[in-house]
Amino acid sequence: MMSEVRKVDARDGKLAMAHIYVAFIALALGGLCGLLQVLVRSGKFTLPANISYYTILTTHGVLLGLVLTTFFIIGFQFAALSRTAGTLSDKVRFWGWIGFWTMTIGTAMTAYYILIGEASVLFTFYAPLQAHPGFYLGLTLVVVGSWISGFAMFAHYAKWKKEHPGQVSPILTFMCVVNMILWLVCTLGVAATVLFQLLPWSLGLVDRINVLVSRTLFWYFGHPLVYFWLLPAYMVWYVVIPKVIGGKMFSDSLARLTFILFLIFSIPVGFHHQLVEPGIDPAWKYLQVVLTFMVVIPSLMTAFSMFATFEMYGRSKGATGLFGWLRKLPWGDARFFVPFVGMLFFIPAGAGGLVNASHQLNQVVHNTIWVTGHFHLTLATTVVLTFFGAAYWLIPHLTGRVMTKAMNRLAIIQAVVWAIGMFFMSGAMHFAGLLGAPRRSAFSTYGNAPQALEWIPYQIAQAVGGAILFIGIILVLIIVTNLAFFAPKGETEFPVAEVAEEAERTPLVFENWKLWLGITVALILIAYTVPFIDMIQNAPPGSKGFKLW
Amino acid sequence: MAKQQLSTQTKTKVEKTSSLKGTLASVFFLGFFLIFTWVSVYFLFLDRL
Repeated sequence: MMSEVRKVDARDGKLAMAHIYVAFIALALGGLCGLLQVLVRSGKFTLPANISYYTILTTHGVLLGLVLTTFFIIGFQFAALSRTAGTLSDKVRFWGWIGFWTMTIGTAMTAYYILIGEASVLFTFYAPLQAHPGFYLGLTLVVVGSWISGFAMFAHYAKWKKEHPGQVSPILTFMCVVNMILWLVCTLGVAATVLFQLLPWSLGLVDRINVLVSRTLFWYFGHPLVYFWLLPAYMVWYVVIPKVIGGKMFSDSLARLTFILFLIFSIPVGFHHQLVEPGIDPAWKYLQVVLTFMVVIPSLMTAFSMFATFEMYGRSKGATGLFGWLRKLPWGDARFFVPFVGMLFFIPAGAGGLVNASHQLNQVVHNTIWVTGHFHLTLATTVVLTFFGAAYWLIPHLTGRVMTKAMNRLAIIQAVVWAIGMFFMSGAMHFAGLLGAPRRSAFSTYGNAPQALEWIPYQIAQAVGGAILFIGIILVLIIVTNLAFFAPKGETEFPVAEVAEEAERTPLVFENWKLWLGITVALILIAYTVPFIDMIQNAPPGSKGFKLW
Repeated sequence: MAKQQLSTQTKTKVEKTSSLKGTLASVFFLGFFLIFTWVSVYFLFLDRL
């Protein structure tokens, strides 16, 4: 009980806030690019001054998909570690700052080469599209910076374990550690393709590139990347939301098991992004599809746990009937309402994910704008709204301020605006995708092909939705600026829930890292070794670089 | 004695606070929605074969 008044140390707060500032600057710039994109794709607007659609598209994807997320997550995790495992040591904080500056310099470098038109290769930077070496170097620095921060986090965890032998670590600390292990294991793939393939190739040291290997290494990283975004949102759902509503965590063990299952199953599944890729034996694709469907289990466990937390709380307040507990939830509290909207959107997002990952169904939606609609539900709604909801208590906690009622109301309006905008934009993307509209492409009627003309009403709906979402971005930036600089001084709680009395004791096996890492590595080796050897042994001549913009 | 005590009890409808029937209904709804979406796109796939 006493621990609930604990505050994040001011020096740790500064480190976390530095990350959060960069994240929200990325949101502002990336969001503006998103608005320009949907306007271009409506066919009613062309970019001025010869700016390429693909430059804007790459900026949008890199700033929002890679920069906003990674910076917010690392900042949030440093704060969470400081709150639950004690103030960071000077050494850990020092390395946290080194990580921050490495990532920031990398981001600036990457952004520079995109904006001068030397790297319009989209955020997936698929070969044979070839960017300026500075783009790849910048991305390398972002990843290396995140590793430095990751190891700083591990050191902090190790210190806690040393000081508390035989004890189960605080759940938020445990979750941060799992997420950084996941990140470190999966970024090995992207580091390998960037350092050994893309960089030498763009520097002209080698002439050709094995495209299939580079894409495979990218998706070895690309799918767990989604879970690197999602797990901090789950931290908020499992640990923060129960406290915000006044309830308790349904089960500590269930939450930890969920995170371990994500660690194990989210990496050896990259082939489900490559289901129409030639050169990979269908049997290996099948194996990875099966493993992908294993990820459904922790997702459904989370859904169950959330419903149970809400129902237990509602019933403890006297709710009756099948859904009476819903009425007891604090709908007027932005810290609950905003992430809750994110949770709701995760239902269609998950359903779409099952379609994407099914081999035959993937042929209906592959490379269509359905996929873009899908990750605007997962990342750009579920994850991002949860991050916004977290920012509404985290920023005032770190800056020694309080959220006013007016800002709370604005935050609720912001979530509603976001939901409406995303309903139109993502909904239209899903339907246009089912009609064959491609992703990753500017407006075209493809020679007035009847099929392409069918997409235009949906593209206009996307522009309407995107414009509404841009209003949502302006609103969140107003709120964040207020909380960081102008809100009244005061104390804001960093909510961390206790576990329900009925829950079972948490077994120590969840922190048997040798076991979990062993299973993770074994599954990766099983899923990738044979097809990877095949890709290298039976490789075509390789491709020269292309700059199509 | 025990019988007397029993006979004076009034019947009140008490719902167990630990009931999770709403959760059960919610996860069933979620499951049906997932299956519905999957089957819908599957039939679209079959239709386009």
